[in-house]
Amino acid sequence: MFVLKYLPTTIKREGVGVRLKLKTSVLDLDLPETERRIERFIRDYIENSGAKGIVLGLSGGIDSSTVAALSALAVGGRNVLGLMLPEKETYNPKDIEHAKLVAEKFGLSTELCDITLVLEEFYKSIPVFDLSEKVGKGNIKARTRMIFLYYYANKFKVIVCGSSDKSETMMGYFTKWGDVAADISPIMDLYKTQVRKLAQHLGIPREIVTKPATPALWPNQLAEVELGIEYEMLDLILYGLERFMKPEEIARQLDVDKMIIEKVKNRWLSSEHKRRMLLTAKLGYRTVGMDFRLPRASY
Amino acid sequence: MEEKIKIALAQMCCKREDKKENTRRIEEITIKAKEQAADLVIFPELSLTGYVVRDQLYELAETIPGPSTKRIEDVAEKNGVHIVFGMPELSQKTQATIFNTAVLVGPQGFIGKYRKMYLPTHSIFEEKRYFRPGYRAAAFDTAIGNIGLSICYDLYFPEVYRLIRLKGAQLLVCISASPAVRRTYFEILTLARAVENSAFLAYVNLVGVEDGLQFWGGSRLIGPNGKILLKAKYDEEQLVTGEIDYGDIKPIETFIPTLKDLRPELFDELKKHAENL
Repeated sequence: MFVLKYLPTTIKREGVGVRLKLKTSVLDLDLPETERRIERFIRDYIENSGAKGIVLGLSGGIDSSTVAALSALAVGGRNVLGLMLPEKETYNPKDIEHAKLVAEKFGLSTELCDITLVLEEFYKSIPVFDLSEKVGKGNIKARTRMIFLYYYANKFKVIVCGSSDKSETMMGYFTKWGDVAADISPIMDLYKTQVRKLAQHLGIPREIVTKPATPALWPNQLAEVELGIEYEMLDLILYGLERFMKPEEIARQLDVDKMIIEKVKNRWLSSEHKRRMLLTAKLGYRTVGMDFRLPRASY
Repeated sequence: MEEKIKIALAQMCCKREDKKENTRRIEEITIKAKEQAADLVIFPELSLTGYVVRDQLYELAETIPGPSTKRIEDVAEKNGVHIVFGMPELSQKTQATIFNTAVLVGPQGFIGKYRKMYLPTHSIFEEKRYFRPGYRAAAFDTAIGNIGLSICYDLYFPEVYRLIRLKGAQLLVCISASPAVRRTYFEILTLARAVENSAFLAYVNLVGVEDGLQFWGGSRLIGPNGKILLKAKYDEEQLVTGEIDYGDIKPIETFIPTLKDLRPELFDELKKHAENL
């Protein structure tokens, strides 16, 4: 683990002949256009899938608040249900307050389901459950939230809208089949710092935009501490990797140790299994997940 | 040949894998275009099937002539118009060789076709996986002028347009399925292809969302001087019609005589270097 405190706005060296300059402005967005594209994406999916609306986990954090706002703007708040799914270990009344603030502002309905009892039954029922193993325990929380969301989806014939952003998705910083499980994931192509800009543009309250990100799997869990890097820096590194830049070039431009870039790169590449489905042994003529290349929908 | 013709840019959203429905829409839109006195109605790339159909192409592709071209020939005949549309074309000689083809039909039936030469296979595009590239630029003499056909990514290659212009085309038609992230390039390239060839250019793009790809529309008719004569909305289905006058080419071609100034010997040079890239 290493925690960085670099200010990426200050790039000390910019090499001659380097085509791509890694500076914060590369992550700038045409915000109205981005908003329009995402809302259109959500609206189109709902209209054509036959779903009656959207259910999403509303944690009071920036990602779910942004997706809640975009969903409400796309299909109308009355068609969006924000589920608040707290549990006692990570319970923070501020988060509930923030979730309600967003719901009120964008006109979506909310429901609160305390998942504590379900979790405790899981802990009791698993013979090998180890209370001290926090990742395994945390993942049960993320997957339990997924079960609640999909129950609501079935019950009300709506789709589950995910809130994963590009930074966390590329880093594999999510629970497989847990928080990432959804039917659509409208902000998955936006880095965290871009989500912050979009959130501000949408009018998400400032206290939500600026509060530190947490997956809320155990008390005091902070995303940037766990990732070992601040999002401002991480996003520039990922942006460089996305554009096929070599780690040494990224390190040179951002004036950071190449080892840091390598660690980010390794984490990105080694978590690809979390972003794909159903690896199998190739045996047949066309194989699910390999060379069955079908459109996702026919409309 | 008519000096002045009216062109309809039929910026449509397709129902994927549903040739029957798309043919019905093509007919419906053609009737509307005819009501607006259109001589030529242009539909987007793969408008018969939708763009993101992937493996389903093997089921959807048809020979030309075939049932779908026959239907659209009938539509053209019934309405007394010319139609350009796009479809996956199955080779008549093999059973699974497919081309990404633009078809031109008129009141007298089938006129000609163009098989896309430049198949994007990068980023989210996978056309070479499914299609065989065409090998021939296509320009056709018709009652409404000499029309050259091209498809989407061809726009990045000036030689395609030079070739169809040199074959006599005065109206360069480009049917397209361009997603939003590429809009700026297309807006620049469509202008360039018209200006450098002193020709009219009609660009018709798809709209709608297919597997997350948002096609941006923005179809346009461009004059030989680069002036945008007609432009459809971004992202929405729209039928727009505008008139062109082939007589407008002469003063432009006189003012900037790119065709008179062509240097054929450079093409040999180009070939040599392209082979040794």
